[in-house]
Amino acid sequence: MAAFPYYDTPAIDALNSQAVTLLKLFGEKGYACEEPSVQQPAEIFLDRSGEEIRRRTFTLMDPSGRELCLRPDLTIPICRQAVQEGRKFPARIAYNGLVFRHQPGEPHRPTQFFQAGVELLGLEDKAVGETEILTLTIEALRAAGLNDFSLRIGDLALFGALVDALALPTQWRARLKRHFWRAGYVETLLYWLGHGDGKAKLPGTRAEIEELLDARADAPMAGRSREEIIARAMDRAAEAAALHLDPAVADAIAKLLDISGPADDSLARIRELLKTAGINLDPQLAAMDARLATLKTLGVDPARVQFTAHFGRNMEYYTGFVFELWARDKEGPVQIAGGGRYDSMMEMLGAKKTVSAIGVALRTERVLAAKTFAGVA
Amino acid sequence: MLTLAIPSKGRLKDNCNAWFASAGVTMEQTVGARGYRASFAGFPDVEVMLLSASEIASSLLAGDIHLGITGEDLLREEAPELTGRMHLIKPLGFGFADVVVAVSGYWIDVSTMADLDDVCAAYAATHRRRLRVATKYAQLTRSFFAQARISDYRIVPSAGATEGAPAAGTAEVIVDITTTGATLKDNGLKILDDGVILKSQAQLAASLTADWGPDVRTSCEALLSKLDPASPLYATLAKQLP
Repeated sequence: MAAFPYYDTPAIDALNSQAVTLLKLFGEKGYACEEPSVQQPAEIFLDRSGEEIRRRTFTLMDPSGRELCLRPDLTIPICRQAVQEGRKFPARIAYNGLVFRHQPGEPHRPTQFFQAGVELLGLEDKAVGETEILTLTIEALRAAGLNDFSLRIGDLALFGALVDALALPTQWRARLKRHFWRAGYVETLLYWLGHGDGKAKLPGTRAEIEELLDARADAPMAGRSREEIIARAMDRAAEAAALHLDPAVADAIAKLLDISGPADDSLARIRELLKTAGINLDPQLAAMDARLATLKTLGVDPARVQFTAHFGRNMEYYTGFVFELWARDKEGPVQIAGGGRYDSMMEMLGAKKTVSAIGVALRTERVLAAKTFAGVA
Repeated sequence: MLTLAIPSKGRLKDNCNAWFASAGVTMEQTVGARGYRASFAGFPDVEVMLLSASEIASSLLAGDIHLGITGEDLLREEAPELTGRMHLIKPLGFGFADVVVAVSGYWIDVSTMADLDDVCAAYAATHRRRLRVATKYAQLTRSFFAQARISDYRIVPSAGATEGAPAAGTAEVIVDITTTGATLKDNGLKILDDGVILKSQAQLAASLTADWGPDVRTSCEALLSKLDPASPLYATLAKQLP
């Protein structure tokens, strides 16, 4: 695929007819199609998505000097619109359009590609929402004519619940959760938990901290309030004292993070490890069982469902269940769809309270390529 | 014709001249005292250009010049991945400066990148926007923050007086260059314990994408062996040239 794709007539026809099929299916399930502008104010992406997405986002200046970007995904502008309009929930929204991503160091990858997808916003019952989105994803691929695919699933909430079950200071829990999606780093953090991270000791009482701050009254506050700084300084001093993890528990977590394989086996191994560590994550495991049951009902071969404990998405905004669908094209395995739960997004975009959210995006050009490959092979 | 660019003004220029003089190379300015072209006595096939330090970095990357002397900070910012694009021939022992991550001294709870990571995440949750890092070193900042596993921040490009950004309220954190740390201290800022991104100094660098014909190579070999007879500078460079 070239960095600047050129769509010839057969390619356009194939894409258009596939899009009609997908949007028709989405429409039948209650997902009406919407489309945000290709150009977006840059802040909404740059403030919400982290530097990794910023690095891959095309930014431009309009003639008045306002910073714009080409949408790197459709989820964020769709969610933002739903917040601004005060949409009634649950809301079901479908889309089909181009997204734009800079591919630094990978000149062969296209800088624009089509995504078709759905967002399910504000459905309180999470299990129902997950079943609905998983079902729709599989049905959409089959409707498009692709039956040969495999799944990779994970759950960021599982790891979150695991960390919450540990006797650790709050900041360390937050740190472990935040870095879950970075392979290798969590292991380093676990090592630090056993051996300390070499931080200088800070005074821990409020009076001592206030005295230190008063002595630095000339320095800029730089966007954080005095209370914010005091609270964190006290936490940090307290955590230094409380920082310790039972080596057996740390070992169990490290083993758990390493688990990857057919979903049924993986879950059985997780249950065993948790038993050893004396940690109860039954609700989270039951949620994973339910998702696997959904896939079985849909006729997906369990051998083609991989569970990876370390699985996180590079979009950084997922909060729970995550999944990817993979197929093959003439160059090898390709990811053809990806999605998951992102329950903190709507609040980040200004919603008054947490809004449950889950969605999926299909890489439609890759679906076509995979279909072509399956037809040829 | 081999082209070599050196800084057109300031201490870097003076230091360059001193280095040439110590190697017995005399520079003759050809177009008046303030001209931007010069030559070396005894090297008729070498053209010396006087450019701004940042132009030298971008000209090396673009392959518009063969050799250049400028700060390593600017070279690394211009080309995060040097392989195949530039070769650092020799650190010159002047123009020392560190590119550092600095925060307000008022942030008594922040002394390491790990602390900054916590604060970035907490800030995004509390203030509903990312913490801003003012810098003219966007590339260096990005890769250093990525190494420190920090993602909850955004870069605000800064053209000058970066050290004033936290007090002015245009950014919370800065990445800037410092020699003694005095300017940072004057602005109430402190360098994080593990916040040194790059220990920079002036470098003699070669562009690997410039046109290196046989005549240019001959001139380059002659010049480098005159500038530093003791080291095999040209032999090392020649291995990198396409």
